[in-house]
Amino acid sequence: MIDEIALVEELQNIQTKEKAFRILIKEYKERLYWHIRKIVISHDDADDVLQNTFIKVFKGIDNFKQESKLYSWMYRIATNESITFINKRARERNIDITEMKQKLVSNLESDKWFSGNDIEIILQEAVATLPEKQQLVFNMKYFNHMKYQQISDILDTSVGGLKASYFHAVKKIELYIKKKTH
Amino acid sequence: MRENDEHTQNWKLSDDIKTGFTVPENYFKGIEDDFSLNLIEEKLPKNNVFEIPKTYFEELDHHIIEKIKPKKGKILNFKKIKLIPVAATIALIIFFGTNFLLNNNSELSYDEIVNWVDMNINTISSDDITIAFTDVNFDDINPYVTIKSEDIIESLINSDDIDFLIEEANINEIN
Repeated sequence: MIDEIALVEELQNIQTKEKAFRILIKEYKERLYWHIRKIVISHDDADDVLQNTFIKVFKGIDNFKQESKLYSWMYRIATNESITFINKRARERNIDITEMKQKLVSNLESDKWFSGNDIEIILQEAVATLPEKQQLVFNMKYFNHMKYQQISDILDTSVGGLKASYFHAVKKIELYIKKKTH
Repeated sequence: MRENDEHTQNWKLSDDIKTGFTVPENYFKGIEDDFSLNLIEEKLPKNNVFEIPKTYFEELDHHIIEKIKPKKGKILNFKKIKLIPVAATIALIIFFGTNFLLNNNSELSYDEIVNWVDMNINTISSDDITIAFTDVNFDDINPYVTIKSEDIIESLINSDDIDFLIEEANINEIN
């Protein structure tokens, strides 16, 4: 477990910034990658978004005031970068964001970096139909196994609100899967 | 029977006696919801079906480090913008604006740049610019570029808006 405060100090010191940044990448790359991947679906897109996230972190770390935990701040950047990426793609194709997410999922069957069966594709389709907040909460709780308090720190939403979001998300997913499989 | 009734009665607490234990608000409703959720979750697939190339995470660090290293070339210190007269700053805007217009990868309009710099002229830092304009690929426009003052002046002289710029410079002097 790294000492976040000490790491931030080294990141904000020009002499030790690069060395500390390498430690930061090593510590958080996998967690951030899987968070991003669940949102943007494709590996290549997740790779782009992840690299952009770390570059944003590197450039913005001098202004990081430690009002939140470092990982919460980084997860927020990763989330925003993922959403921005999808919004940009949607604009380029002149479609809305929900349709864009469904398009991304529809490519899964032919995606070499996806090994799921039909029901797993249906689950991804169901998640793509959720409103943005519910989708984020579901991904973070169900797939990333994060605790409500961790999610609350990142999304700046109360634990109660998150529980409600998750409950509604799961119910909608259940309904979607039932419709598709009957 | 009567004895049993009395025996039973001795074990039964009076409704007036409180246990002293309390529970959070909506606790029992929460239990129902949690149970319902657990039942649904049990039926959902749990495998991680997203895969990655074998050496992806090993190679990732190198790619990111390469991107954060300053590119070879001149360095533009954005803090110097504060010391350059407004007219010269506008020349910088024209320079970057031209760069953006020629660069098809950028979605940023020329007006957006001008408006943003105009509003934030006193507080511009390189972090602000990179964080504010998330759609711009700064690698393409090479932001770390030094512009000599002679180049700025030459740009001003050749500018179509020279009259406007001179007026702006005069206003700046008065202030």
